[in-house]
Amino acid sequence: MALLEKAPGESLATDRRVQGLGVLAVLWLVTVPFTTTDSLTGLILTGLVFVMLGVSWNLLAGYAGQISLGHAAFFGMGAFVSAWLTTPSAAGFPGSIELPLLVAIPIGALASALIALVIGPVIFRLTGHYFAIGTLALAAVIELVMLDRRDLTGGATGYYVNADLSIGEAISHGDVMFFLTLVATVATVVVTYLIVRGPTGLGMKAIHDDEDAASSLGVNPLKYKMYAFVASSFFAGIAGALYAHFSLYINAQSTLAVTWTVDSLVVVILGGMGTFAGPFFGAGLFLLLDNGLSAIVGGWAEAVEGILIILFIIFLPSGLYGLVDDYLVSETADTGGEMDADVADD
Amino acid sequence: MVATDLLTQSVVNGLLLGGIYALAALGLSLVFGIMDIVNLAHGHMLMVGAYIAILLFTATGITPVVGMLLAMVLMFGLGVLLQKVLLKHVVDEGIEQPIIVLFGLALILQNLGRVLLGGDARTADIGLPGSGIDVGLAYMSFPRTVTFVIAVLLIVLTWAFLQYTKTGQAIRATAQNRTAAKYMGIDTDQIYVITLGIGTALAGAAGALLSMLFPIDPYVGWSYLLKTFAVVVLGGVGSVIGTLVGGLVLGVSENLGALYLGGGYRNVVSLLIFLVVLLVKPEGLFGGSGGGE
Repeated sequence: MALLEKAPGESLATDRRVQGLGVLAVLWLVTVPFTTTDSLTGLILTGLVFVMLGVSWNLLAGYAGQISLGHAAFFGMGAFVSAWLTTPSAAGFPGSIELPLLVAIPIGALASALIALVIGPVIFRLTGHYFAIGTLALAAVIELVMLDRRDLTGGATGYYVNADLSIGEAISHGDVMFFLTLVATVATVVVTYLIVRGPTGLGMKAIHDDEDAASSLGVNPLKYKMYAFVASSFFAGIAGALYAHFSLYINAQSTLAVTWTVDSLVVVILGGMGTFAGPFFGAGLFLLLDNGLSAIVGGWAEAVEGILIILFIIFLPSGLYGLVDDYLVSETADTGGEMDADVADD
Repeated sequence: MVATDLLTQSVVNGLLLGGIYALAALGLSLVFGIMDIVNLAHGHMLMVGAYIAILLFTATGITPVVGMLLAMVLMFGLGVLLQKVLLKHVVDEGIEQPIIVLFGLALILQNLGRVLLGGDARTADIGLPGSGIDVGLAYMSFPRTVTFVIAVLLIVLTWAFLQYTKTGQAIRATAQNRTAAKYMGIDTDQIYVITLGIGTALAGAAGALLSMLFPIDPYVGWSYLLKTFAVVVLGGVGSVIGTLVGGLVLGVSENLGALYLGGGYRNVVSLLIFLVVLLVKPEGLFGGSGGGE
């Protein structure tokens, strides 16, 4: 196994190897709709949605250090805005605003980003605990108002979305949604990678580590928090819009529910907060737990999730990636625990 | 226009409910002020306290007023255990870890409530003889009056405990300056254990009182967390008087919101008040010191 032998101080996770693994993973994912059952395809699509949620929450919380408990609001608003555009009649909008799905999804995501852009300067007057609970309250307000606006959201009955992208007999709507989700996930991951490896990511990490110190060195905290918040909300919005048009049914009670925030948190914390690879490990494990364990633990899934995030954050704060990192990557991880800069130089 | 008697009745009901909100918020405020932790599971602890009172009442017919005492004892134990087993690892370690640990605990308690008691809302009757009081323009119903009096009594007792007992003084000293308190020979680890115990017990008491007025289901935790935090923000962290006033303000404004905008907006009103106060005057209307970022 020459592949797994390393000289002292050398890392196995060179950039080229990691990128190669990424390409292999994507190639495998492309074959999924043709080689597995519809339900398995749907399951893996859900996994990709978790990856997007995790990567986006990690950008805001793990890198910029802003623990938002309102991520579900951006997921849900992306879902609703895109659904209004593909299925306007169900919300009483004129049929003339109807747009094709491929246009509606980015607009849904933009709507989420716009909400973040408007709310950001106000909510970032809060820091620490106040920010966390402020975002929780914000998401609760949005959920309550949307639930009350029965005309727009269908209230507790829910909202049925019309979309059919099936191509002939061979490729079903779910399969097409799978490919769209895969493309969106790859785009999310690549863009986030560029952000965190670039100067913007450095600014985010600086305000995470010590906001006052960064500020005194000329790093504008609000600017980097806003970058993280808007980008993170945009990606969460895409995830929501895709999920809405895959499941073809959304409901203010469940699509805007705190559950999606919980899922984002669990994915990131299991994988390793503030590490780039963390959310992939986290989403994989979470998918296994969500489906494998639900057969065993039945109705206790939430409690198991709660116990897992408590145990991980106390005893293994660097997550699953931290474990892998210890064995494969290098001895000296940086504060973020992500791929070290010296590794990249190789 | 809304009729005057309806308006005064809403205000009176709001004041009576506000007393319980203040009691619930006092526990949250205490923990925040002293340990610098926002207990994200506070609303879920309140839910557990309510269920203890409800179960005792449905099983034996014992009034929730007594059930409240049992809930307080059990919840004190839960708080002590929580600090000794979990939170001692993460307290004073920045904000990420405590937030996530308590968020996880909230999920566990919610799941426990749902699996053990089902998703349906339950309530308890006060189970005591007595009649309400007519105060001219409004009527103070018996359960609302009793729960208000008990809530205010517990707030006064907690205040007296903090003010006049040795432990209370040690708690306040720790809140002011943890390091200095340690140098004075105060066992601050023990203070944290007691503080979380009291905070949790107060949440349990408030839950038991609320179970006599409103149906409780396993999902009420989040909304009570936000309501109680709104009271803490209104009153200022660590201020007992501020918390009491904040509770009354929230109770009244919620009822007026429901009256003028419709029942669906009851919670929206409290959340908006909370966000606005947080943004405009984050140190609270009565600006206490200590705690917070």
